[in-house]
Amino acid sequence: MTAPRVPSPAAGAASESRPALRDISACFEGIVPAEIATASADGVPNVTHLSRVHMVDDERVALSNQFFSKTMQNLAVNPRACVVVIDPLTYDSYRLLLHYERTERRGPLFERLRRDIDAIAALTGMQDVFKLRSADVYRVLELDLIPAAVHEAAPDAAPGPGGTSVP
Amino acid sequence: MLEPVIDGEVRDLLESSNSQIVATVDETGLPEATRAWAIDVVPGGRELRLLLSTTASRTLANLATTGRIALTVTHFATLESVQVKGRVVTVDVRTSADHIRFEEFCAGCTRALNELEGTPEAVIGRMKPVDVVACVMTVDEVYDQTPGPAAGARVAPVEA
Repeated sequence: MTAPRVPSPAAGAASESRPALRDISACFEGIVPAEIATASADGVPNVTHLSRVHMVDDERVALSNQFFSKTMQNLAVNPRACVVVIDPLTYDSYRLLLHYERTERRGPLFERLRRDIDAIAALTGMQDVFKLRSADVYRVLELDLIPAAVHEAAPDAAPGPGGTSVP
Repeated sequence: MLEPVIDGEVRDLLESSNSQIVATVDETGLPEATRAWAIDVVPGGRELRLLLSTTASRTLANLATTGRIALTVTHFATLESVQVKGRVVTVDVRTSADHIRFEEFCAGCTRALNELEGTPEAVIGRMKPVDVVACVMTVDEVYDQTPGPAAGARVAPVEA
């Protein structure tokens, strides 16, 4: 299987290099919070922040389920989600269209996410608030660079992942 | 039936230069995420005027088909957060006043993030979209989204 490489028809020339998950690995370091959009069975959207998106392999990411219960309720009836991650070095944003695959409540992936949540909780003084309930694994169906003014202003700048430049 | 009215601290948070994220949905139920680039509470507190990127094509298409929208605003420093759900009433070309509001919002976010995290302003500015359109949405539901056990609790309506 190959990594998802689906360009956005709206992203213009900047997306033609079609980033793969490994190309945007900086986005998964948990430095800049991500966002996740889901929808209920009757089409009501929901949007919330994520402290971190974890890359599992070239086709999958994992999200920590702590207390975003509405998100989980939505995914139980509509297993599709849209996540936006931000590169902490360039502040380029990437849009990931996801399909929920499975939930893990033990094992190496769960422990990896649990250690991460515990570290974030310790840093923010929210040990009593942040507690990992499960590691939820999603297949990435689409991955696009979100176009910004800087991409149009400097089309000949040295491209990074997704055709963007690193300042 | 009681309807939510936005005022006070919730209005202050919505109108501040902080994180503003948006979800819409297409006719098949596929969600889409994007950002808002300034929000103003319309006098009366039952509608919001928000600015969206002109290149958020899927979001704008979703608004034209289903009109459903959710909006979460989170304070960069305190993580205080509120989510508003409703339907988009209009999507229009931005006005000159919208453009000024957009620039002020971006400058405020850049300044806040620079002060909070030390991220260079030139880097933060790379998120800025080319241009924006102006949407008006109804305020149908309001939720406390601040991280913690109360996240997701409905904010009580203020008046009938």
